[in-house]
Amino acid sequence: MTNVVRTPLLSVRQVSKHFGAVEALVGVDLDVHAHEVVALVGDNGAGKSTLAKVIAGVLQPDAGIIERDGVPVTFSSPSAASASGIATVFQDLALCENLDVTANVFLGHELRTSGGLLADGEMERVTRRILQNLTVRIPSVRTPLHHLSGGQRQAVAIARTLIGEPRVVVLDEPTAALSVAQSAEVLTHIQRLRDMGLGVVLISHNMNDVRAVADRVEVLRHGRNNGSFPADVSHESLLAAITGAA
Amino acid sequence: MAGSQSSLREANRAKIVEAVKQYGGLTQVELTGATGLSPATVSTIVKELVAAGLVEVRGTVRSGRRAQLVTIAHRLGLVAGVVVGQRHLRVAIADASHEVVAEQALPLPAEHKVDTSLDRVALLVVDLLERIGANLDELLGIGLGLPAPVDVDTGLISVRGIMRGWDDVHVAQVLEKRLSRPVFVDNDANLGAMAESALGASRHVQDSVFVGVSHGTGAGVVIGGRVHRGFAGLAGEIGHVQVDPAGRVCVCGNRGCLDTVVGGSAFLAPLRDSHGNLTLRDVVQYANEGDLGCRQVVADAGRVVGQVVAGLTTVLNPQCIVVGGELAQTGDVLLEPLREAVLRRTLVNRVAPVEVVPAELGTRAELTGALLLALQSTDVFDRVDEAGAGIVEEIG
Repeated sequence: MTNVVRTPLLSVRQVSKHFGAVEALVGVDLDVHAHEVVALVGDNGAGKSTLAKVIAGVLQPDAGIIERDGVPVTFSSPSAASASGIATVFQDLALCENLDVTANVFLGHELRTSGGLLADGEMERVTRRILQNLTVRIPSVRTPLHHLSGGQRQAVAIARTLIGEPRVVVLDEPTAALSVAQSAEVLTHIQRLRDMGLGVVLISHNMNDVRAVADRVEVLRHGRNNGSFPADVSHESLLAAITGAA
Repeated sequence: MAGSQSSLREANRAKIVEAVKQYGGLTQVELTGATGLSPATVSTIVKELVAAGLVEVRGTVRSGRRAQLVTIAHRLGLVAGVVVGQRHLRVAIADASHEVVAEQALPLPAEHKVDTSLDRVALLVVDLLERIGANLDELLGIGLGLPAPVDVDTGLISVRGIMRGWDDVHVAQVLEKRLSRPVFVDNDANLGAMAESALGASRHVQDSVFVGVSHGTGAGVVIGGRVHRGFAGLAGEIGHVQVDPAGRVCVCGNRGCLDTVVGGSAFLAPLRDSHGNLTLRDVVQYANEGDLGCRQVVADAGRVVGQVVAGLTTVLNPQCIVVGGELAQTGDVLLEPLREAVLRRTLVNRVAPVEVVPAELGTRAELTGALLLALQSTDVFDRVDEAGAGIVEEIG
């Protein structure tokens, strides 16, 4: 249950990251609580994806700290971040076209029987349960991925992150290049993740999607925090913060 | 044994019909995956079902390969139902027998813009039709529900300021232009009333009231089995009955309307200090999980809504009050105080005491009503006359 004073699941404090002369992130703060969708918006090159990569352990920050449940952590690799309960779905999804839904969900984490064989039945059962929890419409967990639509693929990618029972899920542009019906499905999945008590970081260019599902909108501009807004913020003030007109 | 053989086939048939219904349309290959039956069995059963007129098969393309898409038969045509709420919109496609063949909800931002939302409605209708392998000319009409009083004749919202930015837009015309199909617009509570009195909790009574409690509150009035809309669709707008003379000023310009107490942010405000920022969905979820604070807020809402509904009850003497909307998903948490408030403030009817019951169609009442509106407004057989002999043959 919620409580007003609570430790964020994930807390990014004064994180900076430079690539040569490029200041990708400068002293950025971000808090993610349980049962909350935090949207990260900003112009191209504002540092959204860099921040996602820092949270996911792909990049190491030059300065600043990251706290998980109030405890400072350093993620030396993506697997360290996922071991700490942070799962990330990147824009390219990193799914295997030729494998079926179950194989993709368990890719790299295959369950084995005591004899060392693949526990196919068990993996199918788990996959089916996760997809059901997310209310995903995929006819069969044995469908090869190249038969699925963009929205269904995004759903599989989200389902895969749930295998490690994460507390925070980072989604990078999950509705880019999807039709309206498919975006609608993905947005309902995001609401489901929130209902399941997870913290969700949603990176998106689509202000409509962001304002529809987010509890809080954080604006990045030139690698710096440029405002934090409640979900019912108007389109105009959000755009003003993104473009620097405010 | 012959008996078990045929019952097995019966069960497999049911499995396939179930799967097709659940996904709207599936190719034969997908059907084998979804049902676990062998490709040969699927193929045989699909053939039988086609012969029986239960399903249809049409050619489609999946990942560049030709495939056979199996859908539920909808030869008599389809209708679309759309309900635009304050924070989400829902679209459903159904056939002439009210069977929903495809459905999708889309969360919307607060104060969504009319052009963006109508654009998304149009795209969603087309997307869903594609999902079931149908095209736009199979669509007989579209029923659309809005959370504001609507003048059914012009399709305009009849009170200014209730939906910001939507006041001067001919919603029906905009969509008709996009989809070139007839569009019928009505108030969402009226649609809920229509659905519940046709198919739901009030189907056995002549006079009933549907109360939808969500981000706002509205009522639909059914008298003698027909929805009573009033002269320009304002009948049953109980969201704008004053409940607090010293309350906040409402979007309509009056003070202390029911919507300023039970609707939107005012409803969630008492929980902010103890529970943080919640959404309406959260309150419903927590109330059902037994959170006392959330139950308290919902019960208080039920009491206030009950006061207003009591007035409506005295005027109309309905046999039955059906409570729907998102907050009604909390069941008796909302319903019990609402019922008590209604009964306490109305005359005791010795012959037939008014019943206060939950919507049988649940949160889908409005959507079902939108489908019914489209079906009732477009006569299936009118289309036969228009289109000539071709379709007559198909139906015959």
